[in-house]
Amino acid sequence: MNSSSSRKGGIGRHLAATAFSFLGAAALVAPLAPAAHAADVTTIKVLNWEPGGAEYWKQLVAAFEKANPDIKVELETVPFDRYPEVQGPYIATKSGPDVMENNAGLELYDRRSAYAELPADVLEAGKELITYSGGCLNFDTSKSCYGLPFGYQGNVMYYNKKVLAEAGLDPANPPKTWDEMDAACAKIKSVGKTCLALGLSGIFPAYWDFPEVARNYLTEDDMRAMLTGDMPWTDPKMVNILKGLASITQKGWANASAPSITMLPDGADLFQSGNAAFAGTIISDAVNWAAFDKALGAENVGAMRWPTLVADAPLAGSFSGIESSVFGVSSWSDKKDAAFRFVKFMAGPENAELLTKVAGGISLYKNVDPSALPNSPALSQILEIIKKPTLHAGVILSGQEADALARGWQEVTLGQLSIEDWTARMQKALEQSPSKRKK
Amino acid sequence: MAAAQQLDQARPRARPQTERRMKRRELWLALAFIVPGIALAVLFKLVPLIRGFHLSLLETQGFEEPSFAGLENYRTMLDDPVFIGSFRNAAVAFATLPIWVLLPLVLAVLIFQRSPGWKFFRATFFLPYMIAPIVVGIMFRQILAPDGPLNALLRAIGLAPLAIAWLNGPNSALLSLTAVALWSFFGLGVLTYLSGLATISEDIIEAARLDGAGFWSLLLRIVMPLLKPVIGYWTVLCTSGILIWMFPLIYALTKGGPGNATTLPEYLVFTTTFQFMNRGLGAAIGMALFVFVAIVSAFVVRRMYAEGKAS
Repeated sequence: MNSSSSRKGGIGRHLAATAFSFLGAAALVAPLAPAAHAADVTTIKVLNWEPGGAEYWKQLVAAFEKANPDIKVELETVPFDRYPEVQGPYIATKSGPDVMENNAGLELYDRRSAYAELPADVLEAGKELITYSGGCLNFDTSKSCYGLPFGYQGNVMYYNKKVLAEAGLDPANPPKTWDEMDAACAKIKSVGKTCLALGLSGIFPAYWDFPEVARNYLTEDDMRAMLTGDMPWTDPKMVNILKGLASITQKGWANASAPSITMLPDGADLFQSGNAAFAGTIISDAVNWAAFDKALGAENVGAMRWPTLVADAPLAGSFSGIESSVFGVSSWSDKKDAAFRFVKFMAGPENAELLTKVAGGISLYKNVDPSALPNSPALSQILEIIKKPTLHAGVILSGQEADALARGWQEVTLGQLSIEDWTARMQKALEQSPSKRKK
Repeated sequence: MAAAQQLDQARPRARPQTERRMKRRELWLALAFIVPGIALAVLFKLVPLIRGFHLSLLETQGFEEPSFAGLENYRTMLDDPVFIGSFRNAAVAFATLPIWVLLPLVLAVLIFQRSPGWKFFRATFFLPYMIAPIVVGIMFRQILAPDGPLNALLRAIGLAPLAIAWLNGPNSALLSLTAVALWSFFGLGVLTYLSGLATISEDIIEAARLDGAGFWSLLLRIVMPLLKPVIGYWTVLCTSGILIWMFPLIYALTKGGPGNATTLPEYLVFTTTFQFMNRGLGAAIGMALFVFVAIVSAFVVRRMYAEGKAS
């Protein structure tokens, strides 16, 4: 009995001694461990769709955390076409991320109660950008601003020079008008390729296709009227836009799967696989010249304005440009100071360089060194195209309108809906849009 | 003697006291079992339901302050052809219920009978149920594409006329969606029926076989009557599966399209609430869906109960 308790006492002492030595060692090492700083580090959650790609975001977060060692960034990345459905519940419950991304324009305005107004020092950073009005109410920087952009965005049509040559077309002279496009598509289809890679599911048609047809019928004043809900869909100009969109699929330019696939990734995949001659996407972020250069070879990729329907339309030769997405701070965040520092960093020079070098994007920061841009024929063409910008009609559509546009186009393509009924649906969507409806 | 008398006098008083104590204990025990269940049901079912109904009476367009709207959301809902269409789609999907109920039963009986390869099929049939519905949706978006593997196979074996654009047609898209859901779900049915079949005495089956019963006769005359409660249970599960568990598949496979051909009420609740930020109207559609599912489920459960009692 005694010996046993003595043994137990011995083991207990041994354990205590071991524990103390571990504690002693831990105490010595503790000042070196990062855990000691954990209490001083603020972690902010950033909801985003990863514009520019994973590598760019990895480097962006690393650069920000290096410049702000007291802030840690936690990313919640959601695919672009599913973003509204993920962000919606956060807004409805007023909880979740500290920093959020939205498209500039109406998408942001519709959600403005979910954002904190930008303080003066953050707005100052915006003044270093070519423009930041898309983050402010009604594109007016004298009104409340809710987010800052970082890149320039807009639509172009990419083409695969190899496919054009295969179809007997001149890759140096891609089609410039609707009729030329129709003739080109006939030749491309005859060699067994898809003419225009297209996906009509989700919100892509509203952002990537609609503005390019709209430029043929609308003026900038018309677009401003759209923004305030003063341009009915029954207006002949708007009906003509719907007819123009319908003609793309009715003329057989697009792939048969268009009504049931999304442009990203499915439509873009079709173009990247080399099986389609054209794809209407965007200049930077998700599916840009850099991605296509990588997939098809820079020498095979070209970029052009969408062919025109009305050659003498005032905006027919313009570029539908917009600040790319904007980042703002959620109204419910209790880490606003850290969150605003991230927003400011996004709009700053360090990110501008990263965007250009890593993501192949086009920064809005005024003083980016042009020599930092990669050598790409498509990029050179884009830099020419963006010199004549106009408003982007896509970001002026409400969520209801964007949804009705895509679903209606699907049904029109399949011969299940007339243009008249599509127009009526668009008008109804306009009347149900919170920021546009007339009370 | 006196003590015995005292004991006799005390006895009639002690018995009711003990009984009362016993009853009180039983009551407390019963409450201990019931109250947590009731509390959970109230907290997680009744309260959200009441809140949902309250929300359906509010106008909550966008981010404006909600205001009382009475039955306006219900009026808007009934005037909306998309809402009517979504319930029509739900009815079409629901019409496939007999396949959902019978297909797993036939397969379960084949496995139960130790048909060739039964072990392999028992494992294989359950596999689709193990794949997350969102992954199933993404998978079948590729498989059912106009130039996808399914159509390539049909063309290769000389069935080119059957190689249609599965997800493009208004009817084919809805039926494709339902078929994919069935593919994903039926393994659980096979397993459920196999559990039920394990309770049927081998002697009964053997006796039926000796009497010359073939597969169908065995299925219809012996197995189905004996498995009525299990069939009823599975039918209720399938009913809810078709009406309120299709969301991940719709989301990944069709997004409710083309047009609104595959928009079911649950998907409409989601888009109205979270995409269009109209929570009041979304709640009204949710209440309509609740009533619809409750009526259908009550009918099925009632049938099941009646059949169970009769058997």
